[in-house]
Amino acid sequence: MTEPNAAAPETAAPDATGLSKRQVRRMKRFDNPWRNPKLIWGVGLLLGIIALGLLGRIFWDTDMVFTGSGLPRQAPVGIENMRGQVGSWAHPLGTDVTGKDILALLIVGAPNSLYVGVLASLIGMSIGIFLGFSAGFIGGRIDDVIRVGSDVMITIPPLLILVVFQAAYGDISLTIMAILIACFVWQSPTRLIRAQVLSMRESGYVQMARLSGASTGHIMFREMLPNLVPYLFGSFIANVTTSIVTAVGLEVLGLGPQRVPTLGRVIYDAINSGALIQNLWWWWGVPTLLLAVMFIGLLLINLGLDEVSNPRLRRL
Amino acid sequence: MTSMQKLLLAAVAASLAIAGPVSAQNVAREDTVIFDLDRTIQDPENFNWMTDGTGIRRMQGAHQVMWEPLFILNYNTGALDPWLSTGFEANDDLSAFTITLREGVTWSDGEAFDADDVVFTVNMALENEELNAREVATLRGQVAGVEKVDDLTVRFTLNAPNPRFVVENFGVRIFGSFLIMPEHIWSAAENPATFTFNPPIGTGPYTFTSAASNRAIWDRNEGWWGAQTGFADLPEPLRVVFLESGGEESRAQLMATDQLDAAQNLSVGTFEAIQAQNANVIAWHADYPYAVADPCARQLEINTTIAPWDNPNMRKAVALIIDRTQIVNIAAEGATTPSSTMFAQYGSMSPFIDAVVEAGYGLPASADVAAGQALIEAAGWVRNGDYYERDGETLSAEIHVNSASTEYTRTIDMVVEQLQRAGIDARSVPVENSVFWGEVLPFGAYEMSYSWLSCGSVNEPWASMGRYTVQDVVPVGERSPGFNNTARWNSPAAEAYSEVVNAMSSLPLGDPQIPAMVADAYQHLDAEMPFIPLVQAYKLMPFNTTYWTGWPSNDSYYNHPFFHWNSGHQIIHNLTRAN
Repeated sequence: MTEPNAAAPETAAPDATGLSKRQVRRMKRFDNPWRNPKLIWGVGLLLGIIALGLLGRIFWDTDMVFTGSGLPRQAPVGIENMRGQVGSWAHPLGTDVTGKDILALLIVGAPNSLYVGVLASLIGMSIGIFLGFSAGFIGGRIDDVIRVGSDVMITIPPLLILVVFQAAYGDISLTIMAILIACFVWQSPTRLIRAQVLSMRESGYVQMARLSGASTGHIMFREMLPNLVPYLFGSFIANVTTSIVTAVGLEVLGLGPQRVPTLGRVIYDAINSGALIQNLWWWWGVPTLLLAVMFIGLLLINLGLDEVSNPRLRRL
Repeated sequence: MTSMQKLLLAAVAASLAIAGPVSAQNVAREDTVIFDLDRTIQDPENFNWMTDGTGIRRMQGAHQVMWEPLFILNYNTGALDPWLSTGFEANDDLSAFTITLREGVTWSDGEAFDADDVVFTVNMALENEELNAREVATLRGQVAGVEKVDDLTVRFTLNAPNPRFVVENFGVRIFGSFLIMPEHIWSAAENPATFTFNPPIGTGPYTFTSAASNRAIWDRNEGWWGAQTGFADLPEPLRVVFLESGGEESRAQLMATDQLDAAQNLSVGTFEAIQAQNANVIAWHADYPYAVADPCARQLEINTTIAPWDNPNMRKAVALIIDRTQIVNIAAEGATTPSSTMFAQYGSMSPFIDAVVEAGYGLPASADVAAGQALIEAAGWVRNGDYYERDGETLSAEIHVNSASTEYTRTIDMVVEQLQRAGIDARSVPVENSVFWGEVLPFGAYEMSYSWLSCGSVNEPWASMGRYTVQDVVPVGERSPGFNNTARWNSPAAEAYSEVVNAMSSLPLGDPQIPAMVADAYQHLDAEMPFIPLVQAYKLMPFNTTYWTGWPSNDSYYNHPFFHWNSGHQIIHNLTRAN
């Protein structure tokens, strides 16, 4: 692996370049490229959402996600709603029009949304890795079939198919939804990995492995795969983002699971019940904010991973 | 202004013009009245109302402004207001009716409207089983023959005595009526079931201008027969638009910004929010709860052929678990009342409701979950954790619900919650409006669903009770005639029930025996629960007085406010331009 060496010439003569202490400190951090601030912040934000789900389940009554758990239309703590009622600690983030507790919805919903994204992306990536390596390394007919297949699939807008599918089948579980989305997120990793593998196939260590009689599987997954790890991570995170966007898109159209809270579902209910005109901002605003946090976290991780795999991006 | 700004402004103006709700062309907004449509016009080119089970080929404006009914039932006076007809007579045993048509009525193309049109349309309905709209199926079930007496007189012979014949078929009692079609156009159709009747014509004061999947536009016919014969003045609006508004939010925004004059059902909170922004928006009642009850009380439909709900005790258990008061408070925001029987709780229905309640068959307003669970356990189910189980199978229920309105989905969310807490793994299955009415309900393709299929009675009990007799039972997968007995309730109790109800059908309205017979028949409904009455219907349909006044309300009760019904003609004629 080349990363530590790439940073070496610069660290060799820190004084000569006239860098400040802070820059020197940051420079040293590049000894371990995984410890860059973007990555740390991104992971922190996502861990925050996971922590919300875990701690929330311990300290808050998640049964309040169901209809009729409290008085409807309560504002968050200390804020008045349209009827002049002041929100209380019983529902710190307020309630929706059917009395569901918004905090409980977020505690259950946010990790659910993340779960769909991660699961869909995991499945999609696994397919992508397998197909990408096969196409790039084995080549020939197999390459043709996989390449054409993924090129065709990449032109199909996933939301269109998923909307039709879910409208036809109605209520589905989170896992089924993730699997469905996974059917549409394997193409780009397949293409990217194939391209990487094609260039890597000709490199010295692969040739050497081949000459020493290593099996195709061994070369693909033991020799080449580790070199692609940062790259795969980046692709994985991008896929998580795509999957969450797709899932939330479906949920906001009212097509996700019915009784399982997700952030998209909360927003759908809010839109569908006239939350905007009734000024129930906490109902759609808080889940939107949480989605924004989730996406910013994913973006930061992606940028951070870019720095890991591409040393030129590292700035002082 | 820089050229860039001008360009942007022009782009905004152009996109507004394209996206604007109505292509106003040359009719001013002040002369246009815009009604809300709560569903998509699936096939805007097709005007064959006789093959449409969902009603959309009429409620896009056709039966409010173009096709006129013979009579309109006035909910306030209880009388039949004559429209294309001037009156009717029945023979002594109520098995033959003679209807007199109004003189001087013409179709918008100038042809006279007369007895030939009536006889032609009725015969077409009798001869073509494929014409499956509810009104057509009802008429086909009742009429043995029809004949023309003279140009303005038609005589119907019925299969059985029926005191309600005219109001039921021609009186716009609920939603629609059997609409008469022009013989000179329909007679050219090879197959009435596939005929699209485009361009459509009618006798009404508006003619069809254009339609797309989200709107229909109708323009005033200056030569309308009514103005020429002195029946009524031409209505004031030059143009009528029916516009699909989308969900509750967009409906509310359009209403608040005066882009809609009459909106479909909204929730109480949304209505209050609109009023806070636009003081010109009114509802039936000036104060909370604003809403008015339509005659279609809400209920949980059950397919009685599907296990375990084929067991009457299991259905009774569900009935006991449901808490109607909670539905009223949470789902309806207090805008309605719990149902105690299958009937609409109108004053005119109270003799029959009272008889049922006195006999002990009234439904409680709150739940008795323990009693319901006892019935489930008696059927062999054992609670294991969250849910009941039997032979390794979890007790579950899928409830199909029309996704067109938050009223429906919110009520079913509440019911699902109540069943879940009692140990039944219930879940709601939202389906699109046309699928719900076209595929799910009539063919029995559901376990449970939310609807109002005992709707019918307004001032007598038979119209509702007659919908659950064994004559109308068909196997699952076949179309229930006129959405009658979609529960497919067919048991000894159902037969006993049908016997009483059939005996009741030919008694004249107001016969003193009827309340006792209602109670007698109701014992079977109470024992077997082929459907579970939930709450009274509540319609909060806001009207906007910015451009038009004269809307119906509790203070100005010329008729009910349901502008999507065939009675919409009366509303349009009552509108006057606001200053």
